[in-house]
Amino acid sequence: MDKDDKLKDLKDRIQTAETINTPQPSNKKNSGAGFGFKISTEIIAALVVGVGIGLIVDKYLGTKPFGLIIFFIFGALAGFLNVYRVMRRIEKQ
Amino acid sequence: MASKGEKHSPLEQFEIIPFSNTELGGYDISFTNSSLSMIITVAVITLFLTLTVNPRSLVPSRMQLVSELMYNFIAQLLSDTVGDNGKKYFPFVFSLFMFVLIGNMVGMVPYQFTFTSHIIVTFALAAIVFIGTTILGFANHGIKFFSFFYIPGVPFYMHPLLIPIEVISYLSRPISLSVRLFANMLAGHTLLKVFAGFVVAMPFFTGVFPLVFIVALTGLEILIAFLQAYVFAILTCLYINDAYHLH
Repeated sequence: MDKDDKLKDLKDRIQTAETINTPQPSNKKNSGAGFGFKISTEIIAALVVGVGIGLIVDKYLGTKPFGLIIFFIFGALAGFLNVYRVMRRIEKQ
Repeated sequence: MASKGEKHSPLEQFEIIPFSNTELGGYDISFTNSSLSMIITVAVITLFLTLTVNPRSLVPSRMQLVSELMYNFIAQLLSDTVGDNGKKYFPFVFSLFMFVLIGNMVGMVPYQFTFTSHIIVTFALAAIVFIGTTILGFANHGIKFFSFFYIPGVPFYMHPLLIPIEVISYLSRPISLSVRLFANMLAGHTLLKVFAGFVVAMPFFTGVFPLVFIVALTGLEILIAFLQAYVFAILTCLYINDAYHLH
């Protein structure tokens, strides 16, 4: 075998190896369960904080049900905001 | 003590067993299996990193390559998310990542306690990140850090509604950070134990099927152990970034 042939052969082999090994743009980035888990923890965490603030406000200001009600709603809204931000971050990638 | 029926509960693995009864100022600071697991983790990290990087060869051995890969992984993560400011926080993020990662991996060893499956541990880690980044934000921006909660370009009458929502969203960070890691580890290890129970309980040779499933699940658990450490590190980077760039 001639030297040029050898080089060409090597070049071909490298090219095929490169095409095989280039990562395909995959769309299975998020498994369903992991994705759902991520979203649910965001909502739960915001609700926990909202309810916690509500209970503390009620305890020290004596506004019994209203602090809890208002901050529960705020917590839920904050949860949606968190989910929205996570979604936006995922879409950016 | 658990009665005989409960002895093989899938949750038994999460029990804290104190090896000593130490008390300091009214607080129980006993050395437990959780502490032992943490010490093993730190020892594994320290030994692995020092021994593999010690030869400092220009052409790295395989093990040295693993260490360098981990270093590059976090360095890249920091420079991608935080930018040039991120270099300072490399030791912090790297220690955190390695502690969670190797902690999860040590937990995958049979009979070994998984300390990341206790919410108090993950919450303490998340609280360090949260308090640290908040202090960092105030150090960088002073009182202007509060404008983090103020969204520009919104009608003024919306602010009484939006500011509490932003504050709650900010305060929920350590909780979501810690719950994610804790719940993933807890769920995974419980699932493994439940299926391990099926292996013994199922009649004849049918116990083989859950056994095969456990093997697959163990692989998945190792993936999750890595993924959760990665998520913990990347979120820490994002929070550090927020402390520098408000909005």
